[in-house]
Amino acid sequence: MRRELEQIFIPGEHEARERSWAVVEAAFAARDPQPRRPSWKPVAAVAIAVIALAGLLSPPGRAVLDEIREVVGVEESAPALFSLPAPGRLLVTADSGAWVVDQDGSKRLLGRYRQASWSPFGRFVVAARANELVALTTDGTVRWSLARPDVRLPRWGGTRTDTRIAYFSGGELRVVGGDGEGDRLLDPDAAVRAPVWQQGARHRLAYAARDGTVRVVDVDTGDAVDRDAAASRLERPAAIVSPDGRWTVVGWADADQLVFTRLGRPRQIRAVSNVSAQFRSRSFPTIEGWCCAP
Amino acid sequence: MGSEGAHVRGAQRGSASDLEALFRAHWPRAYRAAFLVVHDAAAAEDIAQESFLAAIRDLDRFDRRRPFGPWLHRIVVNRAIDWTRARQLRAESELVDAPAPEAERLDGAVLAALAALPPDHRAVIVLRHLLEYTPGEIAELLGLPRGTVNSRLRRGLDSLRETL
Repeated sequence: MRRELEQIFIPGEHEARERSWAVVEAAFAARDPQPRRPSWKPVAAVAIAVIALAGLLSPPGRAVLDEIREVVGVEESAPALFSLPAPGRLLVTADSGAWVVDQDGSKRLLGRYRQASWSPFGRFVVAARANELVALTTDGTVRWSLARPDVRLPRWGGTRTDTRIAYFSGGELRVVGGDGEGDRLLDPDAAVRAPVWQQGARHRLAYAARDGTVRVVDVDTGDAVDRDAAASRLERPAAIVSPDGRWTVVGWADADQLVFTRLGRPRQIRAVSNVSAQFRSRSFPTIEGWCCAP
Repeated sequence: MGSEGAHVRGAQRGSASDLEALFRAHWPRAYRAAFLVVHDAAAAEDIAQESFLAAIRDLDRFDRRRPFGPWLHRIVVNRAIDWTRARQLRAESELVDAPAPEAERLDGAVLAALAALPPDHRAVIVLRHLLEYTPGEIAELLGLPRGTVNSRLRRGLDSLRETL
């Protein structure tokens, strides 16, 4: 029996061992307390305050975020994402697929999806493969799927009971109901750039057109609400904010780190290293969202 | 065991080479044990990796007079059982539109037969016949009465025999 159990072939065993060793080795290297640079905390605290004043949406806010990431450096970094500093769950996409990270740090690979987005209240995830749009529960169970060519940039919006998903297929902007029904073409002339559901407005979507304008439409009626809207309608926050609004997280690809920053008092910064290896990714993962506590 | 104790002591003192020796010695069986319980390579990788991370976090508190393997295997197997139970609960309570991933990965009659067992039985079989613990040691690892271990072993083997 032992020999049979030992001879069972497990695909990717060697790669799995080396990935795990990279993470374990890094965690071990960071075990001993590293000497702290006394100078970064005051600078970082000032930087956080400036972030709050500058606003996370603005270009100046982005610039300050870059500065703070440089200031924090790697010395204060945890070797692995042991936990999130606030309630909620992170949705992350990496070369290995889409992942959900719970507050206790446990991670679940939903499947080999290249892009993903939370549903408005975090009960579901919509994800894209090459030729498929898929709605999932947060444990990776497929609720429905839609075969479409070259699916990209799915975004889920709406109310708790009535939602819509915008996505690109073959370069065209399409919309489907949250239950997978009613798929239709919304605009063949949209530029392939992430659309943004408008807050406080029922099923209104802002997106960029190929002529450089930003349009806002009611996706249910197809009526144009604004054919030349401000570009700010499409801006995404420079940092992902926790559901309780107290923490932000940004990815720092060059250092292979996530940097969590507490916006209120007491000021805190938590960095996490070895991010790519933890998500089994050659390239730095993308944080798609930090959503609602389960 | 003597050299393992030296590696544990070295790792406690910060030696990365000693830690690597422990990792290389124990990871393959930890990973295989997890895989044989969960039947999902990605989940087994997570379980083995997180078990090692947990071991590192508690390394300073580890009594190096004791063997490292059972300590690690306890973490691995219990996590694997928890993972499998959680997966089964989800399968019962939710619609499953996609084929279960584990069904695609079954490789060989033994693995398929193992998959038909409840996770608790799988774990006992793996601990006994892959990791070669005695029923008494398994009872201690899993926090079970020895009689329960014996009965699970018996039922598990009977079931395997029928399937194979």
